[in-house]
Amino acid sequence: MYTAGIDIGLENIKIVILKDASVAASLTAPSGGKERGKRAEALYDEALLRAGVSRNGIHRTLATGAGKFDADFADGNIVEEIADAAAARYFLKDASAAVDIGADQTRVVSIGADGAVTETVRNQKCMAGLGLALEYMAERLDFSIEEISLIPPERAEGVTVNDGCPVFAELDALELLNIGVPRDAVAGAVTRMTVVRLNSVLRDKDFPDRNRTVLTGGVAKNRAVTDALKALSGIDFVIPESPEYGTALGAALKAAD
Amino acid sequence: MIKQRWETRPLEIWDRAKELRAKWQKSIDNRQHLLAQGNTVESDWSPGFEKYLKIVEDNPVGAFMASKSHSFARRARLASEVRGWGRELCGYVNNCWGAQFLGRDMDGGPFPYRDMCVPFPDVCDQHLKRGQQCMDLSPIPRWGGDMPIYPGERDPKRDEEMIEHRVYCNLKIIADIERIFGIEFDDERFVENIKLREKLSAYGLRISQLMTQVPTPLSAKDLYSFYTLGDLTKLNPEEINDFWKSFVDEVQWRADNRIAAVGGERYRYMEAHPPAWYYLKYYRYLESYGAVCIGSQYSHIMSGTLEVKEDGSLAHRDVTPPADKPIRTREDAVRQWITEARGNRFKDDEYCRKWAITDFARGFKADGAIMALWRCGVGCTLTRKEQALRLSEMGLRVLHCEGSQPGDRTDMDEHGFLDRIDAWMESQGLEKLDDR
Repeated sequence: MYTAGIDIGLENIKIVILKDASVAASLTAPSGGKERGKRAEALYDEALLRAGVSRNGIHRTLATGAGKFDADFADGNIVEEIADAAAARYFLKDASAAVDIGADQTRVVSIGADGAVTETVRNQKCMAGLGLALEYMAERLDFSIEEISLIPPERAEGVTVNDGCPVFAELDALELLNIGVPRDAVAGAVTRMTVVRLNSVLRDKDFPDRNRTVLTGGVAKNRAVTDALKALSGIDFVIPESPEYGTALGAALKAAD
Repeated sequence: MIKQRWETRPLEIWDRAKELRAKWQKSIDNRQHLLAQGNTVESDWSPGFEKYLKIVEDNPVGAFMASKSHSFARRARLASEVRGWGRELCGYVNNCWGAQFLGRDMDGGPFPYRDMCVPFPDVCDQHLKRGQQCMDLSPIPRWGGDMPIYPGERDPKRDEEMIEHRVYCNLKIIADIERIFGIEFDDERFVENIKLREKLSAYGLRISQLMTQVPTPLSAKDLYSFYTLGDLTKLNPEEINDFWKSFVDEVQWRADNRIAAVGGERYRYMEAHPPAWYYLKYYRYLESYGAVCIGSQYSHIMSGTLEVKEDGSLAHRDVTPPADKPIRTREDAVRQWITEARGNRFKDDEYCRKWAITDFARGFKADGAIMALWRCGVGCTLTRKEQALRLSEMGLRVLHCEGSQPGDRTDMDEHGFLDRIDAWMESQGLEKLDDR
């Protein structure tokens, strides 16, 4: 049986096609702003092609993410937290928490013994767009995403940016550049800010289990952030190979229910 | 169609409430009295000046602007902001006093300038700043009574002293107004009004008690539409008393006959403080999940219905504060109305803030809670996260949302809020009833 999950995020659309709970195809592309409904549909058709299945061959397609209501072609939609929990259980059978860090949103989901969601936390405004902030800073500092992902907070060497708000952090970073601080030190400070903000969300309600927490979302690909977050929080996150597909995968899994 | 679990029907008293509200608006527009920018707590003496003085709260004025003309409210707030009044100040205030700076009201007529101001004497937030804008514009007398606060252990002797200090402040305000404006305070009328006020408290208590019933005969949204009548919007005391009596009778009848405020009630949630006044449609949105709001410490304590019991718990009063002493003089009457050392604001008291909310949740049989994180002012977020943890420990799922001040929707992510509501409801296994 084929099922599909589409995660329409602020920055990117992610699609996962499952065949009997195994990934048959996965695909991602920029969301396209107000055109995201059309973009998602085009990407969906492309993913089906890669999976070698027609629309009629899909048992059910569920959309999730901030743009889930734009996916008119889907059979329905589910809230992101339920998809996150399903994905976490896919990656780790006894996962008790799922953390997803995307371009705009950060979510922490507690999972009960039966796999049901028992608590959820979404970031407050003071850390909205954390993933985007990292991307912008990489561009401003003339690093690729891959390069900035390897610059740990230690490289900051005492240089700091505001860790209460990514917008203020970006402003501080520009000031540091203007006064001649080396760009890798600024990048290290930005990474530290990111980790401090994330750690505060982890501690909002239920603190995730140190050994049974799955980390997904695009920011989970940033090695510098994940290493520093593991060190600061003490959580030994399980990070799948392609973490950006986590929520889409969860939606595809729930489509099989 | 939304699945109906309980019989429901609109309140019959709605039209009468609307008439009263319109009458209040007319009483300001007609401008036959001195106008005072006043407040709920420290102007209950106003009926003693009723021949000469009309108290106008900036809350209903600012709320009316926000709800009727978003563009005018924005212009008014901008006029206030360019004079240095930040968005941390209540949006109602900035709407109301911004209109003053513009010199005109929402309907294009001249702004009804005030002759004096008596701002809310609350030390913990921005209320005390309220009178300053109108005072600065056209120097008028301003009285800021004290609201003594003591964050330590409760001490009856200290409370008594704090009450006496508040009594003194209010007596002085009355005497000052008599002296400065040369108008006479009608002690007899004031005493009568305080006696009537005791009846209103009893009505408020009864309605609050009835809202603990499943299904609740009245939702928080309904309650918010009524509870300012006679409080924030001061009108003829006898007329208000008559209205509240009819209101209580109707809610009692609904409770006796299990007439629900929300026909699909299957999930009861509470709040912690004022809602997003400019976005009350979220109540209706939650109703599509069968979720009904049963109020907050804010909405129920505003009318003095809850108290800290001897065992330290927070619960409904057994009876409203009895007039155990004869009320004959102005001083007797002031003392009668100031029954709480910390006023009805004790919900914000650090002493009980962390635990009282769990008692409230139990009392009103709440399944979940929306804990708004408003920016400063009313709904100060102090200890809000700790309260959420206490509720989580009880098994309640808590939703946080953020936004700005009442009457100022610039900082409210409306779609994001609904999205969070979906996540909150659906992750608890609740689907929209009309989707099933």
